Amino acid sequence: MATPTTLVHFSGHEHFRNRLVLSILSGRHVKIDKIRTDDKNPGLRDFEVSLLRLLEKVTNGTIIEISVTGTAILLKPGIIAGGPITHECPLSRSIGYFMEPIIMLAPFAKKAVNLTLKGITTDEHDLSADLLRTVTLPHLQLFGISDGLELRIKKRGAAPNGGGEVQFLCPIVKQVKTLNFVDPGKIKRIRGIAHAVRVNPQFSNRMIEASRSILNRYIPDIYLYSDVYKGEESGKSPGYALTLLAESTTTALHCAEAISEPGVLPEDIALKATRALLTELDKGGCADRKHQCLVLLMMVLGSEDVGRCRMGEPTAKTIQFLRDIKDFFATSFKIVPAEPSDPECKQLLYSCYGTGYVNANRTLA
Amino acid sequence: LATTSRKARRKDWTKLIYTTALSPEQILDDAKEDGDDEGDDIENDEDDFFQIKTRATNVEAEVLDKTKDDIDEEELKKWEDEDMLDSLRRLFITGADVAAAEGG
Repeated sequence: MATPTTLVHFSGHEHFRNRLVLSILSGRHVKIDKIRTDDKNPGLRDFEVSLLRLLEKVTNGTIIEISVTGTAILLKPGIIAGGPITHECPLSRSIGYFMEPIIMLAPFAKKAVNLTLKGITTDEHDLSADLLRTVTLPHLQLFGISDGLELRIKKRGAAPNGGGEVQFLCPIVKQVKTLNFVDPGKIKRIRGIAHAVRVNPQFSNRMIEASRSILNRYIPDIYLYSDVYKGEESGKSPGYALTLLAESTTTALHCAEAISEPGVLPEDIALKATRALLTELDKGGCADRKHQCLVLLMMVLGSEDVGRCRMGEPTAKTIQFLRDIKDFFATSFKIVPAEPSDPECKQLLYSCYGTGYVNANRTLA
Repeated sequence: LATTSRKARRKDWTKLIYTTALSPEQILDDAKEDGDDEGDDIENDEDDFFQIKTRATNVEAEVLDKTKDDIDEEELKKWEDEDMLDSLRRLFITGADVAAAEGG
């Protein structure tokens, strides 16, 4: 690896996943200390330990040292090995928590990743299996990662008991393409997935109807699909959710999702998801807000050329991610208003010079 | 809130992100660099041998490392208004005519 293996140092448990990913991709050692030192239950949580174990499985030669108190870790990354992997996710976080970092790493593995994850498929904190499948993977396609890219939802699992299972297949690439995505286009279609497990199956239809009551005014091309899972495939806990996504003429995607809450009608969940989608559309841009980090990371890893993408304002997570990218790759972005003449337009143009990252793990053959 | 009145003034994102020490939340909240909430009056019993650290990064509840932001129900209320809903038509392929008819 061309980059020197100097140590990058962080404090605190925030942005844990992104920092581990950046470490593994850049090949630089990372030390994270002061992990919840002031908490009455200090140290790493079970899901964070589980994530470290998963990263160990995905990579080869990674050394992870956890301090006795669990408040500090040192990660010396190995190579991203890939291949078939199975992992049982703890029920404290959904599989989205584990999938998101894996998605960032998988294209640069030695062998194509075939990962089976078991646990909760939809929760309120992380991208659900549906969002990962319908929104995250298409975002990867922008960078030329497409053939054989697939996420299969074999079983659904709602919180708290989970019981879901997904299979993630990701091809390997030599290098990612430079992104030049500045035209958000107009929204041409809306898709949705309503699922209901271990509750009245009519809930899906009720959500779809409520969502349509708002969306029908905009465009005719709306297809909200009621996804039925029965018996063993529907996991161990009851739950339902509505996932919505809008696609523009230039293939920009925006998504929103709302999941069941106790004592709330399915109609209200659907309205919440629908209105959240409208908020996302209003913010606009070429990439979904929840996928800013993924897009920016792939732009940094792109070939040695200027990549550009028009997006909304960065989220707090994105801001920190931009700083972390600078620490690991010494690359910073230029962020300027997308339309300098229009003070109302809050969209921004992010551009950076790609590092020309080459997948060195790939088997030479 | 002062933030709304200063809406017209643009943020220099590149500068805010790379050259200031503001936390991401402070950047989003339009905070000034000097006006840090460092002295966040944490109960500090001076006669205690063990002092509570004031440099606590986040005193509030655990900040989860999560991807989906909580949906702000208050913010969604604006979509109950028909005019607000109509204002989004410009974003859809079918909306071009409407915008033209209204004169932009």
